[in-house]
Amino acid sequence: MIVAEQKPLDEISRMIASYERVLILGCGTCMTVCDAGGEREVSFLHNALRVAQSKIGNGIHIFWEYTLKRQCDPEFLELIVERVAEVDAVLSLGCGIGVQAVAERFPELPSLPGVNTSFMGMTRETGVWDERCAACGDCRLEDTAGICPITRCIKGILNGPCAGTKNGKCEANKDMDCAWLLVYERLEKLAQLERMRRYYPPRNFRTIPRPRRIISKTSVDPGEEYG
Amino acid sequence: MDSLLTDIRQNYPANRTQRFLADHSLVPTCQTACPLHMEIREYVDLVAQGKIVESLQVIRSGNPFPSICAYVCTHPCEDACRRDQVDKPVAIRALKRFALEFGGDRLIQAEAETSHIEKVAIVGSGPAGLACAYYLRKFGYPVTIFEAHSELGGMLRVGIPQYRLPREVIDTEVQRLTRMGVEIRTNTPVVSLDLLFDIGYKAIFITIGAHQSLRMRIDGEESPGVIDGATFLREINLGLRPSPGERCAVIGGGNVAFDAARTALRLGAREVRILYRRSRVEMPAGPEEVEQALEEGVEIVFLVAPIKIKREKGRLSVTCIRMELGDPDAGGRCQPVPIEGSEFNEEFDTLITAIGQAPQTPGGFGVRLGRGSTIQVEPGTLATNRPGVFAGGDAVTGPATVVEALAAGRLAASRIDDYLQHRYPLVVKETRESLTGDLLPETVEMVRRIGRVEPPILASEERSKDFEPVELVYDWETATNEARRCLRCGTGAEILSQDRCATCLTCLRICPYHVPYLDAGSTVQIPIDQCQACGTCVAECPAKVIVLRKPHDRRRVTEELEHILKTAAGSKLKPLIVGFCCQYGLFGTGTLASLWRGARAGVWIVPVLCVATVEAEHLLRALEIGAEGVFVAGCGDGCARENTASWIRQRVEKVRKILVQIGLQPERLQTFVSGTLSEDPAQGMDNFIEQVGGLYLASVMMQEVKS
Amino acid sequence: MANSLFEEKLYSNEFLVTTEIGPPKGADISEMVHHIDLLKDKVDAINITDHQSSVMRFPSLGGCLLVKEHGGEPILQMTCRDRNRLALQADLLLAYSRGIVNVLCLTGDSVDAGDHDEAKPVFDLDSVQLLKMIRIMESGTDIAGKELKGAPNFCTGASVHPEADFIEPQLIKFEKKVSAGAQFFQTQGIFDLGSLRRFMQYASQFNVKILAGIIVLASARMARYMNDNVPGIIVAQAIIDELASAGKGKGLQKGIEVAARLIRTIKEENLCHGVHVMAVGNEGIVPDILEAAELVGVPS
Ligand SMILES: Cc1cc2nc3c(=O)[nH]c(=O)nc-3n(C[C@H](O)[C@H](O)[C@H](O)COP(=O)(O)OP(=O)(O)OC[C@H]3O[C@@H](n4cnc5c(N)ncnc54)[C@H](O)[C@@H]3O)c2cc1C
Ligand code: SF4
Ligand code: SF4
Repeated sequence: MIVAEQKPLDEISRMIASYERVLILGCGTCMTVCDAGGEREVSFLHNALRVAQSKIGNGIHIFWEYTLKRQCDPEFLELIVERVAEVDAVLSLGCGIGVQAVAERFPELPSLPGVNTSFMGMTRETGVWDERCAACGDCRLEDTAGICPITRCIKGILNGPCAGTKNGKCEANKDMDCAWLLVYERLEKLAQLERMRRYYPPRNFRTIPRPRRIISKTSVDPGEEYG
Repeated sequence: MDSLLTDIRQNYPANRTQRFLADHSLVPTCQTACPLHMEIREYVDLVAQGKIVESLQVIRSGNPFPSICAYVCTHPCEDACRRDQVDKPVAIRALKRFALEFGGDRLIQAEAETSHIEKVAIVGSGPAGLACAYYLRKFGYPVTIFEAHSELGGMLRVGIPQYRLPREVIDTEVQRLTRMGVEIRTNTPVVSLDLLFDIGYKAIFITIGAHQSLRMRIDGEESPGVIDGATFLREINLGLRPSPGERCAVIGGGNVAFDAARTALRLGAREVRILYRRSRVEMPAGPEEVEQALEEGVEIVFLVAPIKIKREKGRLSVTCIRMELGDPDAGGRCQPVPIEGSEFNEEFDTLITAIGQAPQTPGGFGVRLGRGSTIQVEPGTLATNRPGVFAGGDAVTGPATVVEALAAGRLAASRIDDYLQHRYPLVVKETRESLTGDLLPETVEMVRRIGRVEPPILASEERSKDFEPVELVYDWETATNEARRCLRCGTGAEILSQDRCATCLTCLRICPYHVPYLDAGSTVQIPIDQCQACGTCVAECPAKVIVLRKPHDRRRVTEELEHILKTAAGSKLKPLIVGFCCQYGLFGTGTLASLWRGARAGVWIVPVLCVATVEAEHLLRALEIGAEGVFVAGCGDGCARENTASWIRQRVEKVRKILVQIGLQPERLQTFVSGTLSEDPAQGMDNFIEQVGGLYLASVMMQEVKS
Repeated sequence: MANSLFEEKLYSNEFLVTTEIGPPKGADISEMVHHIDLLKDKVDAINITDHQSSVMRFPSLGGCLLVKEHGGEPILQMTCRDRNRLALQADLLLAYSRGIVNVLCLTGDSVDAGDHDEAKPVFDLDSVQLLKMIRIMESGTDIAGKELKGAPNFCTGASVHPEADFIEPQLIKFEKKVSAGAQFFQTQGIFDLGSLRRFMQYASQFNVKILAGIIVLASARMARYMNDNVPGIIVAQAIIDELASAGKGKGLQKGIEVAARLIRTIKEENLCHGVHVMAVGNEGIVPDILEAAELVGVPS
């Protein structure tokens, strides 16, 4: 899942300052799960902006709220075409992808980011998320006992721990486990330590030319189509 | 400013809005068990909230004579109460009595207007007859009650002793009926129905009860000194004072036996012994009844039955035999089997038989009888074989209970109405599902134990001397606390639209009772039979897709805020403070409630089901509608639920952060939790008002400086 | 054929002494030059650190050039933190072309530790891959396989941490560095000779030279600070106590004593192949340590 955090209110206020009619657009998938932009947070932000308006005289806006199931598929955006026709800007609480999807679908309208999209991760406990995947495009979890050193080691190195680890924690953050020690422990349990002894050549960053695109459908040669 | 309700609902397509407005609660087990189907959960909850008058309204709308039930109902609801799985059932009957006494039931007058010309005759004035008369009058029919005795009430009057049901209670209800225009003919035994039809009655309801005591069929049963329980009690209730002598035996194990025994004691018997042929488990009398009898000094001997009575020298020599329990019969009841050679003799002055009664239907009625001389009816309509003749109560069921008789009376009234209006007797179906299923051990473990408190009773020495009512009424605090024990079964949370559920699993992780679970299809389910309706997940669901099943619980906060907005707009009282208070306990019904509510100018209270249901956005909304300060007050340790305060603290913290970003002082938001607070919450409240006042003045001054 | 004087000595069974100089934060190199002059004849080689602790400074390569100019033997410390493989290879070519052939290959501290904690951490390669890359370049191509016009030739070193609290994964990495071509190792600070002994018992099976890292502690406070804040470092309690016993203002003196004693023992017991003295900002005292350790004049 993609994990994000809602932007501070003052930043959002500044962003929408010059637009009178604003649609706050939530996303019903990842952003809902990570408490950043689901229906509840849309509503909360809406209320917060209105309090700012009524108590501090923070601009005069008219807000609408709507939460789509997903912002990252264009078909969903068709559901808000009418609403969008009435607004001056969309404040998207979708991840960065959602913001761009809105921008692409409504080229004449500002699409503003309401959250800081942060990482791909999993829930540790309610309200706590941990990053787990860097989307490197070249997954090596097989060799690292299912623990990703590219994501979880601050240096993303491939050949074992640096010398900075202490008490099993990372040199950069005493609260963070050293990914390589975790890898070592798990490989040991799996009796696969030889995987760690192996030399891993520099990563192939070419597998991730940006921006990436994944095509899962097979292109069909028209000549091969059956009658 | 547009209304918050439209705000919330603008995202809802029409069918969702409809779903949002409907009541999705399930019928709780107590209500299902109640023959009258009373809205027990609702009135108990209203008592818990201290809303006694409203509670009484709910009670009255579901029961024609709640004052009688409040004293003597056998409360099948309590037997079915799911709280029993946690500790003990909610004391529903006693709470009803409390609501009646504190809600001013005595002052309530019933009214009825006549809108039909078809006259209806009711034969018998027991609870079934009275109830039928009540509802038929409500429907607008002229009604006449024919009663063989000199007074109305049936077994209420001639059976149940005064110390359990004071006569004023019956009198008050009868008076109401008279005021409603019911015509009453006492001392008028009906022997023929044809006669009634002849003199113009269009329909007849037979509710003659079951007054004929069954005989033991043993030698010497006719001897002087042997009397049947129903007759014994009737004599006393009609003003006679028979003397039971020194030593008195009562045969039987039902309510009649116990009432007879306790009455004998009150009439001066020194020793009263109940002889019952089975054991304690099989005894039909209610446990409270048995306990109170024991306290008063009644002795109970199990597995014993009389086989012969001989009258000698003015006393009764009773030969008894010991019994043992045989194998259970088809009905699951163990039949007692005499133990050979275990006979023994006992001397008594009086022997009261109370082994059951049967109806005694005059042959002139022309109705078909069934097992045990009961009148045969069609169960759904209570119609007998004679057109226009209906029957119900003990006369149909054999000796049963008041509440069943009331239910029969109510049903009969509807069916008679259908009959007279030539309507097909359609059964009104309950649209809501009934709650079934036990609480899981995991759930039970998490529910806070709160012991049941029984209403006070007269000390046993005092009560066995006269016929004063034994049971007293709860005081305010005990009653509201006892009512809070209700688990509000079936009102819990539901996922309004699985489609919008993001399956984030928040509810599953945070539920204090571990209720929600992920089913095999990866869908989150909130099993209604386990949910404790705390509402924590409702406020935490990031998709806002969980709602409480009762629309009132759902809309409560927003509607109250709307109301404050409207009312406060015109008010000059500044600063305005909005407080979200637990509707129960200290803040809802206790000492602080009145303090906070009335006395302080500018403080507006929004009562909430539980502070855990107060959403972060509610706090903001309160500020937006003009509040200068907002607080949340809950019971903390005194709460019936676990850990509610921590949720509200988190949300308050979240909103405080936003306030800082907006440029408002975070001190405008406060949590008061009793029990965990060293400081007195009332004192804290004072300080808060003062502080908010200061902030308000400061902001006014700032604005003046600016302009 | 040895590439450098240092490499020659590496295989001469002499007891080696190296030290390090941290370049200045700024363009004024006079103090560094002073330290180079002070130390160049007293040690076998001088490491120039590469933005040590991720604090931006004058570059390591620049420092090495100065050492060279002043007639000393430099060891280029090269981390993977700030340069991708293009920049690393380019710098290596430059170094080699100027006669800087001793390279200590390091992964580098994390950016968070330093004074530019918002910088993009590069780590295109890690230390093992860097070592390997040097070997590839020596064979005549860059690591993309393209031929080099003139192949370099280096004497490569790496670091190892015998006192790591979780040693097994460190040993695995050590072996990977050995197979990737490391010829010598300068260890992280050694405070407990026991751990060095245990490590050497294991490491002696490999044909590599081990120089024990000696950190000069100026006070007990500094020791404790390092325990809490410096990646990997664990100063033994015995040493902290000893430093604490020193009178006011005598801490550094005590630190010198401790360092010298460690060095002396290492040499006397022939525990490893040499020492690498790290005075962390106190480069001026290195001669005192060497004197106290009776090592002065070793370079011929
Ligand atoms: C001693 C005792 C204690 C009880 N305690 C409880 C209790 O605590 N809780 C509880 O729920 N239930 C109790 N019951 C049972 C309850 O009282 C009865 O189930 C209930 O009263 C039945 O109501 P009914 O209207 O069917 O008949 P009844 O109450 O029996 O009324 C029938 C009426 O019809 C009259 N009648 C009979 N024949 C004729 C005729 N031909 N013409 C005119 N009038 C006639 C009778 O005089 C009587 O007034 C008790 C019963 C007894 C006997
Ligand atoms: S706990 Fe309340 S709602 Fe549930 S069965 Fe008992 S009285 Fe009824
Ligand atoms: S309302 Fe309370 S008890 Fe019911 S599922 Fe939600 S959190 Fe659990």
